[in-house]
Order: sequence, then structure tokens, then C-alpha cells
Amino acid sequence: MLYELNEEQKTFQKKVREIYEREVSPLVEEYERKETFPIQLFRILGAEHLLCLRCPKEYGGPGLEKVSECIAVEELNRICVGIGAGIMVQGGLATDPILHYGSEELKRSYLSPAVRGEKIGAFALTEPDAGSDASGIRTTASRQGGGYRLNGLKTFITNGTICDFVTVAAYTDPAKRGIGINLFVVERDDPGFSVIKKLKKLGNHSSDTAELAFDDCYVPKERMLGEQEGGGLGQMEETLKSGRLTYGARSTGVGQAAFEAILSYVKKTKRQGQLLSKSQAIRFTLAEMATSLEAMRYMTFRGAWLFDQGLASMKDASIVKLFCSESVQSIVQKAMTIQKNSGLRMDNPAQRYLCDGRLSKIPEGTSEIQHLVIAAGLGL
Amino acid sequence: MNFELSDEQRDIQRAAREFARGEFDPDLALELDQSRTFPESLWKKAARLGFIGIHYPEEFGGQGLGLLESVLAAEAFCSVDSGIGSALSMVDIGSEIILKFGSKDQKEQFLIPLAKGTKRMSIAFAESEDGQDLSSLSTVSERRGNEYFLRGEKRFVLNATLADSFITLCKEPKEGWITLIVGRDREGIAVHPIEKMGLRMIPFGDLDFREVQVDLESRIGNKGEGMAHVQHCYQVMRLRSAAQALGTAQGAFDRALGHAKQRAQFNKKLSQFQAIRHKLADMAVDIEVTRWLTYKSATEYDQGKIEPGFLSITQLEAGRRLVRVVDEALQIFGGYGYMAEQAIEHYFRDAWAIGVDLGTEGELRDRVAERILG
Repeated sequence: MLYELNEEQKTFQKKVREIYEREVSPLVEEYERKETFPIQLFRILGAEHLLCLRCPKEYGGPGLEKVSECIAVEELNRICVGIGAGIMVQGGLATDPILHYGSEELKRSYLSPAVRGEKIGAFALTEPDAGSDASGIRTTASRQGGGYRLNGLKTFITNGTICDFVTVAAYTDPAKRGIGINLFVVERDDPGFSVIKKLKKLGNHSSDTAELAFDDCYVPKERMLGEQEGGGLGQMEETLKSGRLTYGARSTGVGQAAFEAILSYVKKTKRQGQLLSKSQAIRFTLAEMATSLEAMRYMTFRGAWLFDQGLASMKDASIVKLFCSESVQSIVQKAMTIQKNSGLRMDNPAQRYLCDGRLSKIPEGTSEIQHLVIAAGLGL
Repeated sequence: MNFELSDEQRDIQRAAREFARGEFDPDLALELDQSRTFPESLWKKAARLGFIGIHYPEEFGGQGLGLLESVLAAEAFCSVDSGIGSALSMVDIGSEIILKFGSKDQKEQFLIPLAKGTKRMSIAFAESEDGQDLSSLSTVSERRGNEYFLRGEKRFVLNATLADSFITLCKEPKEGWITLIVGRDREGIAVHPIEKMGLRMIPFGDLDFREVQVDLESRIGNKGEGMAHVQHCYQVMRLRSAAQALGTAQGAFDRALGHAKQRAQFNKKLSQFQAIRHKLADMAVDIEVTRWLTYKSATEYDQGKIEPGFLSITQLEAGRRLVRVVDEALQIFGGYGYMAEQAIEHYFRDAWAIGVDLGTEGELRDRVAERILG
């Protein structure tokens, strides 16, 4: 049972916090305001060996285990969820399927450069008409010569306007719903690929989100993941499981940031002549926040530990995501409301934590989907 | 007990809805919110149609109706757009003080233009960082001859860059707490804008007063009455915020309902999934509760017997339920709910701003506790 981080993990935690505070913190205010991702961070973090954390050393990756990945994710999200999102996709959905199902050539061309931060990756599954119902996607990949012609529209794609390559899900056999899907690596310069528009959001402003179009976009056969047609959704399963677990760390990170800020606020702010920290109700609220954070963090680490043992089921991952993404809401909300009007100010991170934290109930399976996955996992 | 709206009240409701639905263009609302711009032309239109100052007496440009009618209009407006609705409902904040405590001259001079839509009014009371704590105030207005000279800072002033006058709470060494009507054009006023996450169409700012000179006629009512003015003003503002909360919740719900009926996943409309149906049911319950508490509070106010403890209950529930409703409404939209193109996205942000005006749970529970325990 993991009840405490080991020495190596504690050292890693200190190291990443230092690096993120040095390299990421100074960029947050500007890039959040500009609603743009600081792409220089890919090279900077790549140089620090902090991209694609679980990518094995044989492909140039740090080769870390899930627990350490969660440590890094929590630390990064504590500083900025939006920036965290772009970095997560790089080491998650964009490259994980390539690592597990791609040819050595694909790994050389995309995975290793992604590890170094030389190429930016994205992942495109969601479509305007297919969100929770992933099998409902309509993008097709029809055989053409030595490859496939992709046609379709993708939306809510993180790193969409800045990516060098995007791992795309499309139907090679539309007749086989949910089964006839494959993953392809499309490059930004491939004719027929275009960025339709950048999307403006409630929060995660520094995360780049876009709508992408594939218009007779030709992809050579070599850039399909795997040899066989079909099974694409299955190729995403491990990555989805992993991503859901990581959401535990994302939520904990932003919750921790909001908690630290409000703790400091109540210790120095008076209302009606009394320090907020002396109010019993405020003390109860902060106690509840602290309790939630402990639970979230340990749920996440337990899930990560299970993953590292090869024991994590999708139900385990969904439980972590559901619990953490829901628990963080109360933390970021209360941290806002205690501050009243000053919490609403754009120059106060409280509103950013609220809006950033709000997202976690939606991607990689809404909370509602997580409920269904867990119920299915109970054999119901 | 009569829980029916009168014919006149229903007419106002209908007229307000028709106006809002006809005029609050969704694309315009997005643009105004994104660019942090006040809805000028809609304000003028609303005023021309009699929607501003509904509860002012007719001789001062109003409809001579009650606060309940104002509440109905604010609710209708906010249900069509939370931002435009709130901006239009908060364009005459402070007028309550002139209404209740002002002289006939002051009422003529200030209420008529407000109702006409040629002037805007706001309040400058709090000096705390949170914009609401009145326990440490240091703005002074020294009376010298027939003039007052104002010195101090006011924080988080609504419509700071747009209001033509600010009802300002200050202390005169001999007169005690007083309120002064301070025109924005007076020399010595500096405005420091503040950008907020929600209700972005309403500009906020801090005000600095440096030896701002106003004449005797600017004082409202009597010496030492300032705090009573402020308390009265807050009461009306709270009712208006409850109305905004109700309308915003209704608008969020309407949109979520529409989306659930039309959006399909897994070969079914969202509205066919029990979990979604239950969410919508919970939202409908939340809105009904908020509605009846708000209407009762407004009715009590109009009957001259508003009870602050009950108003606190209304504020508490309006706030809690608003947050729940917009949050669930956003969730029903899934990823789309997080996108600025969808109205629900700014409904979410506006809800938080409205919530602050309603008060914190802690403070409101304190007041309800006082009501219970004495």
C-alpha cells in the first residue's frame, strides 16, 4: 500500500515544482490573458525531460511510473490548468497510442520528437455530433492508393492550432459501429488538413482549443496505427484509463492552488472588524476543503499505484476521475465566494481556479459517463 | 393567500418578455459581453418603453407600480440574457434612496432622467476590498459654508465609468453619516476600472475623491441618516439581485431544456436519459423555490412590511439555487457549455457575479440565525 511517496518521488516532486515555478509561473498571467499557449514551453520542458513522462527511455522518454506522472501533473496544474492541458495531451492521447500501437518508424518520427518538445502533438476524436458517444463519429478514412483519404470535422481539440501532428480517429469501416475505427497520424502540412477556428472558452484560456477539418486529407498507410483495420477505440482504452486517472491529479492541483490562496486570504482579511480565520463557519469550510484535498490526492495516488501494478480497471480510473472532478468544484467555488467581489476580479486567480476547475467534469468522459462506466464495472 | 399575479402584473411580464425576446439579439449579447460594453441602445429602448423606474411614481417618470413589477421585468430580461438583463436592471442603483428620503426637487431632478434613459445612477458606499463591508469607512465630507468637500476612496463601484451620479456615503464631522449625490463631472474624482469575470457589460471601478465639492442640495434627507439610507438601498438591491438570479436561472434552464430536447447521443435525445431528466427536474424545483420566495419578498416590500430575516432566506436560496441551476445547465451542454459561443457560458460567469451581490452563505445564515434565535 502506498501511503507515502518514496524518497525518489519526493525529490522528483521538489524538482518539478522548482522547474514549473521558474519556467511556467512567469508566463501564466500573460498567456491566460492572451488566450494563447506558450509554445516555447514544449522545448523548455522537453529539455528538462518533463514531457511524455511515461514514455520509455528507449524512445528518449523519462520512463517514469504513473505515480510520478501524477506528482508532476498535480504540480503543473497547481500553477496553471490551461498550460497543463497542452502538456498533458503531448504525453497522453497524442503519443500514447503511437507508443503502444505505432510502428518503430512512427515512434521515431513523432514520439521521440514529442518527448524532446521538437514536435507538438494533438489528439482528435470528438466531433460536433459525437462527444460522449465516441462511436458516433463520422470522420471516414477511405482507402486510396497506398493510404487513406480522411474526411470529417473534429472539435474541442487541445493543441489544435499549434500542433505539428495530430492523432486522428476515423472509420475505416463505417458499417461496424464502434469497431471499424482506426487511428492515423496526420501532419499539419498534409494537404486537406486545416484548422477551421480557434475556440474561445470559459476557462483554461492558455490551452489552445480548435476545430479541425479533414477534406480529402491523404494519409499514407504507414501512418495508421497498427496493421489491421478496426480496433481503434480499443487502442485508446489504456490511454483513456490513464487520462482519467491523471484527471485526479489535475483536479487536486487546481484545488490545492485555490486552497492555498484562500487559506492565505482568510488569515489576513478582516470583515466587520474580525479576521475571517476566526469565523467558525470559515474554519469549517477550510476544514472541509482540506479533507477533500486529502481524499482526492490519495484516491489519485492509489489509482496511479494500481495502474503501475497493471491492476487498474477502467472502473477504478472512472472512480478517481468522478470523485476528484466533482470534489474540486466545492473547493474552487467556496474559495471564490469567501472573497466576494474581490474573487471576481480578473487580476485575482480565484476566478481562474473556478473556471479552470469547472472543466474537469467534462472531458475524457463527463461525470455522467463516469457514472455509467462505474455502474457497468459493477456488473449491473 | 393569493398566489396569482394580477392582470397588470401579467401584462408587465409579457411586455418585458416580448421586448427582451425581440431585442436582445444573442450575437449582440456575446459581443457586448466579450468586449465589456454596456448595452447603450437597448437601455435607451427599454427606458422609452417604460421599463426603467417601473416603481417610481408617475410624476417622476415611473409607472407608479411596485417592486414586484420591477422584479418581473428584471426576471424576464435576465431569462433572455443574463448580461443585458442585469445591466438594464442595475442602471438606477441608488434611486431608492432618493425615492424614499429625497426632496421633491431631488426626485424631479434625478428620477425623471433615470426613467427616461438619459442618465444612470450608482452608489458609492463600501471601501473594503470585497466591496461590501461597511465596518471601516473613512470617506469624509467636510461642510464648509454651503458646500461639502469629499475626501476618500470607494471600492467596487458599479457603473463607475458610466453613472452620471453616485449616491455617496460619507461622514461629516458634525452631521454624522450622510449621503450625497455626487455628479461624475465634479472635479477631483478619479476612476480606476476593475475587470470582472462576470456581468462584464457593467463596468466596475474604484473611485477616489479628492476635495470634491458638492453643494448643500446634494445631501439627501437629514443629518445622521446616512446608514439608514444605505440599509434601505441594500434591501431593494437584494430584491433586484434575487430577481436577476431568478431570471438567470430560468434562462439557463430554458436553454438546457432546449438543448436536451434537440441533442442526440447514443441514438437517443438527451432528454430521454433518466439522469438528464432528473437534472432538469432538480433545476425546475430550484427555480420554483426561488420564484416564490422572491415574489413573496417583493410583495412584502410593496406592502411596506418587508422582514429582513425573510429577505435573507430569499437571498440565501436564490444564490444557492442559481449556482446549482447554471452549473447543471452548463453540464447538459457538455463540451459546448464550456465554449464562449454558447450563451450558457456567460450565464455561468454572470451567475457568480449575481451571487456575490446576494451575499455569502456565512453572512446570510448568520442573519437567518438571528431571526430564529434573536
